[in-house]
Amino acid sequence: MEIETRKILNKSFTGTGWLSIALLAGALVVFLAPIVVRGMGAFVFRSTVEFRVMQDDIFERGNKDKLEEDLRKARAAREPVYEKLEAFEQELEEMSIVDRLEYRDSYDELRNAVRELLGPAPGEERASLPRNRYGQTRMDRAGHSLHHLLYIETYDYSDPTRMGELIYEPRSQEFEGTALEGLFEYAENNFEAMMRPRTEFYWQFLIDQPVDSNIFGGIWPAILGTFYLTLGAIIFAVPMGVLSAIYLVEYAADNWMVSLLRTFVSTLAGVPSIVFGLFGLAFFINTIGVSESKSVLAGSLTLGLLILPMVIRSSEEAIRAVPMEYKEASLGLGAGKWRTVLTVILPSALPGIITGIIISMGRAAGETAPIIFTAAVSVGRALKPSQVFTNPTPALPWNIYNLATEHEMVDEIRHVQFGMVLTLIVLVLLLNMTAIVLRARISKKLKG
Amino acid sequence: MKMLRKVCLTLLAGMFLAVPFASADETELVIDGSTTVGPISKAFAEYFMEENPGVNVTVSESGSGNGIKSLINGACDIGQASRWMKEGEFKAAVENGVFPVAHVVGLDGLAPVVHPANPVGNLTLDEIRDIYAGEIRNWNEVGGPNMGIVKVSRDTNSGTYGVWQDVVMRGKDISADAEYVGSNGAIRARVQNTRGAIGYVGLGFVDRTVKGVSVEGIEPTPVNTATGRYPIARPLYMFTNGYPELGSALHRFVTIHMTPVGQSLVESIGFVPQTQY
Repeated sequence: MEIETRKILNKSFTGTGWLSIALLAGALVVFLAPIVVRGMGAFVFRSTVEFRVMQDDIFERGNKDKLEEDLRKARAAREPVYEKLEAFEQELEEMSIVDRLEYRDSYDELRNAVRELLGPAPGEERASLPRNRYGQTRMDRAGHSLHHLLYIETYDYSDPTRMGELIYEPRSQEFEGTALEGLFEYAENNFEAMMRPRTEFYWQFLIDQPVDSNIFGGIWPAILGTFYLTLGAIIFAVPMGVLSAIYLVEYAADNWMVSLLRTFVSTLAGVPSIVFGLFGLAFFINTIGVSESKSVLAGSLTLGLLILPMVIRSSEEAIRAVPMEYKEASLGLGAGKWRTVLTVILPSALPGIITGIIISMGRAAGETAPIIFTAAVSVGRALKPSQVFTNPTPALPWNIYNLATEHEMVDEIRHVQFGMVLTLIVLVLLLNMTAIVLRARISKKLKG
Repeated sequence: MKMLRKVCLTLLAGMFLAVPFASADETELVIDGSTTVGPISKAFAEYFMEENPGVNVTVSESGSGNGIKSLINGACDIGQASRWMKEGEFKAAVENGVFPVAHVVGLDGLAPVVHPANPVGNLTLDEIRDIYAGEIRNWNEVGGPNMGIVKVSRDTNSGTYGVWQDVVMRGKDISADAEYVGSNGAIRARVQNTRGAIGYVGLGFVDRTVKGVSVEGIEPTPVNTATGRYPIARPLYMFTNGYPELGSALHRFVTIHMTPVGQSLVESIGFVPQTQY
């Protein structure tokens, strides 16, 4: 081949390599950036005074005097709203019954819109559900509520042969010529004064109990649950996995039985995770009854099975990679086989084994399907270590799914969902980083 | 060698840390089942745990069928269901030594929901049945725009699906091109993003993002459900194994709905309290 063609080919090969790396990096940015940005919304956001009231009520957190002052100012700003509502109610009293009926529905809707934004009116009875005790706690949601207060969202159905068109009608139109006329303009102009926004860094999102099925508060039980499940899976999978790997590499004869065994392990690695979940339910809970209900224990066992093939394969590779000379030297010095495995082979294979373990930890932490039927619940307390044998637990992957699909207030609490997603990704990322660091340190130690 | 010993020791320590130490004052209530009853159970759990700090109430929403199965297997204390138990389920329960007792915690209407832009505001039961059976395939056949109908249904494990079968389908089969999803919230999500879609959800899940359609001219509202005027209504159940021991945590939990607080909880999530007060 001409030297020139070879050069061009060489360059284009390098170029393709670079291009694919750039594409990968781009894809990562496209994938991770929205997650990070939206996930941070759970931690850093513009909070309203309602948020501070809620924090003080539920978690007894924040500066009381400052809150008092804030609340006083907010109440002063809100007073004209309630005054106007009251004045309108007076007007209603004096109206004829026909006129009153005309306003009944629209006034109810207005009251609800005000309540959604500002929370219970002064003097109202304490609501039994925390979600009804406060107005909007976040400025982004408050903005939506304000819009809902100012405009009626209707659809124009005048042409029944076509889909209706969304129109926003100013709500003030409905109350023209009544005491409420000025309310809308006032609310729009004094929005900030009524809500008193402040930039909040809510790191306690990570350690707070969720309140009222995740509508307020943090995600601590889910984080802890994920931690228990992962740790449990490792406790079950690692001893079994490493021992099997040692057997497969060092002891097993090279016959059809062993190759069949290897095939089984590979097959196990390819089984869909939901199958593990169903197996866990059928075997661990219904057949041998490791616990009466779903529990962390049953979930850990199931996850342990799921990552077992990964642990076996990575340990096998790591053990196989130990140079033959090490083994020969040890045997030559008179050490027995078991001693050689324990003192020479395992320590040299350790970096590889640990990397495998930590990567499977990441897998276990992020799996949803195996824990649906064996461990995960949508609402539950943070567990004490003594409870893991009998109690089920919330866990990040499952709760993300639950919030995304099953929760009755999905749209109001998107930020919680994204906060969970970010937390889970950071958790897995941290695990992988630990793997890298640990591996580097151990290899260095072994060499030195 | 040292490293290996360390790793082994850490693992061992981990195992022993997890060994249970006596926990006498801890009670747990495990609730599983219907995604419709889920919000009620979650609200009750919130209220109950506030009052009883020693009790851990866990709620999962895996569908009525799974909830009942769990109860039969003794895997939960309360099986929440949005339909009555089937004959086979009763048999299986009794064979397992489980004697189900039903607690009706509230009532619920089942509202057909469409995209808010859809001008169709009223359907008859027969029309809804024919839509789901695949005989009506376009909205213009029921007075709407020329647009194909996307049918969204709950999975067959769901109690909501069971009630829909009984009251709406009345023996006809849901056509094969319907989409099946796993929860009320998922139906709502599908309908609010799909202009030609129709789905059905419990009253507590009808909000501003979807439009509840009147059935036979009657709006799906709590009042119409409580009075029995709205045709697709059902009670919501919590099943326990036998009547719970009086005064136990379980007993207190399944009687929350009889207290004024419980009724206001049911009402504030959008369902209909069973008794009027």
